[in-house]
Amino acid sequence: MAVHGAGTVTAVDDAGVHVNPHEDTVVDVIFDGRRIWSFWTLRDTDDGLAGWPRMLKRFLDGTARISVVEHLSGSVLYEADVALGSGQGRIDIVDAEGRPLGLDKSNRIVTTFDTRDARHTKPLLDSTEKVLGELRDAGVAAFPAYGTLLGAVREQDFIGHDSDVDLAYVSREKHPLDVVRESFRLQRHLKERGYAVDRYSAAAIKVDVVEADGTVRGLDVFGGYFLDGRLYLMGEIGTPFEEEWIFPLGTCTLAGRTLPAPAKPEQLLEATYGPGWKVPDPAFHFETPRTTYRRLNGWFRGNRVFRNEWDARYSGGVRDKVPGGAPSSLARFVLEQEEDIDLLVDLGAGRGGDALWFARQGVSTITLDYAHGASNGVRRVAEQEGLDLDTSWVNLHELRSVFAQGARIARREGNVVLIARHLVDSTDARGLESLVRLARMALVRGGRLYLELDLLRPGERYVPAGRRDIVRPKDLSSVERALSEGGAVIVHSTQTEDKRGSGQSERPVARLVAEWQQ
Amino acid sequence: MTGSSSKAGSSRAGLKDRAVERLARAVAGDRLDQLQQRLDDLEAEIQECRQLNIRLAEVTDLVEQLLLPMAARDEEKIAAAVEKYSRTI
Repeated sequence: MAVHGAGTVTAVDDAGVHVNPHEDTVVDVIFDGRRIWSFWTLRDTDDGLAGWPRMLKRFLDGTARISVVEHLSGSVLYEADVALGSGQGRIDIVDAEGRPLGLDKSNRIVTTFDTRDARHTKPLLDSTEKVLGELRDAGVAAFPAYGTLLGAVREQDFIGHDSDVDLAYVSREKHPLDVVRESFRLQRHLKERGYAVDRYSAAAIKVDVVEADGTVRGLDVFGGYFLDGRLYLMGEIGTPFEEEWIFPLGTCTLAGRTLPAPAKPEQLLEATYGPGWKVPDPAFHFETPRTTYRRLNGWFRGNRVFRNEWDARYSGGVRDKVPGGAPSSLARFVLEQEEDIDLLVDLGAGRGGDALWFARQGVSTITLDYAHGASNGVRRVAEQEGLDLDTSWVNLHELRSVFAQGARIARREGNVVLIARHLVDSTDARGLESLVRLARMALVRGGRLYLELDLLRPGERYVPAGRRDIVRPKDLSSVERALSEGGAVIVHSTQTEDKRGSGQSERPVARLVAEWQQ
Repeated sequence: MTGSSSKAGSSRAGLKDRAVERLARAVAGDRLDQLQQRLDDLEAEIQECRQLNIRLAEVTDLVEQLLLPMAARDEEKIAAAVEKYSRTI
């Protein structure tokens, strides 16, 4: 044990790292010679304990040589063989393919750059140059930003404890509305060239690049603009800034490549990380001022309600599996009610089990879902079987997506039927408003909307069981009101009780059928 | 840099804030709550205005992309434009 500015580390055990700090200092926690995690000795401790981050806990079963080292001075505060959990075997913090993992500044478990060599970084640099080139062709001057720019300027290389590449551009537009339109245009430009693009906000996107070995790498592209002498850049910056500090772009060097950079990159780094940006901090946290956060939220955010949770639900191969079992009772009910269906649209289709069931009966079918590729498995089967089944994406929190899908369906002739099973109870009031709008457009020539949703019990105030609890029962009257305000006539309304798993009480489920009578 | 913030310092600031609030409440009474409510309402209204940007941008983008094929009165082009628009967002 040694005494340093950081203080002393008294123990490392199943709870975490016990420190007796003198002053706030950033330390690295090293397992068998490899940095895994970093924290600040005052900021990130509670009663002298830096608890193991949640994402690390699942690895902590076995023994390891653990040391705690002051990041800047390299002073060793603690070093010992430590047994955690059962203490059996060696602690191995790697992914399923055996690649070493560590925690980034947000305590996400990632493959950090300090464990990658040129074989891994070359394709990343190639992808970076490719996306920068595409953005330049689309008319914006993009450059490495955030940790990527910090590494380039401070070390001419990737930062060891970083894990991804961030790019940014500063728009020449002067109004947030035009900044948003420009971002839509960029997305279209990239998609037309075959890139998968995911939208973080109305001014930030993720561009997937397929590398030579088939690895898909996501590069974040953050948009910004100048307003009254301040630079606003997604997702953390809002600060007085000179346009000459960005334009005309200069260059920086990243791992031997010459890439574009802001004219005065050090000014952007100071705006991003504060005046101490030259001093490495692997546990850096942004403290975005409330006014900046509110502005960026108000102008650009709000399109990803529950998105991460839905993506998580279909991750890990779930989206590639074909759902087995019988169709839902709603699907069977629809088939009983409708004599001939010319188009069946499953809104919020998830993995698309019901849609596949309809398509196999010869019904032309479209699935729409918020989670990208949620029904990949069903799409593959439909292709193999030659079924008329289209899988598409819709976001009820992006008006243009709602309009586009509404218009697309409205063009179809014949009896159009929409089903939305547990979609209303999976979205918020704005999502419901969009769902009604989409149905109104889609059913302009007639047809019906079939809804099924979990209901609140009389007087119940529903408390979600956590962030993953995203199907939340609704009040029937508010759903009926949203439908009728959107011009719908409810032609059928019944309630049943749905038996839940053991120990859970039954939940009322409503089935509604709506029409837009011409 | 964020790491230099001290818990002792923030605790002192918290005490000061509470003392200031007690004093203000003694002087202003209910007026303080009313002002706080007005501030909350104003902030909410500002956010509502800001959020109009995205909606308007979405409609503008859509109109721009679909009006030209519609102006050409070419049914195939209109169908293609609707299809392409939904595939590239």
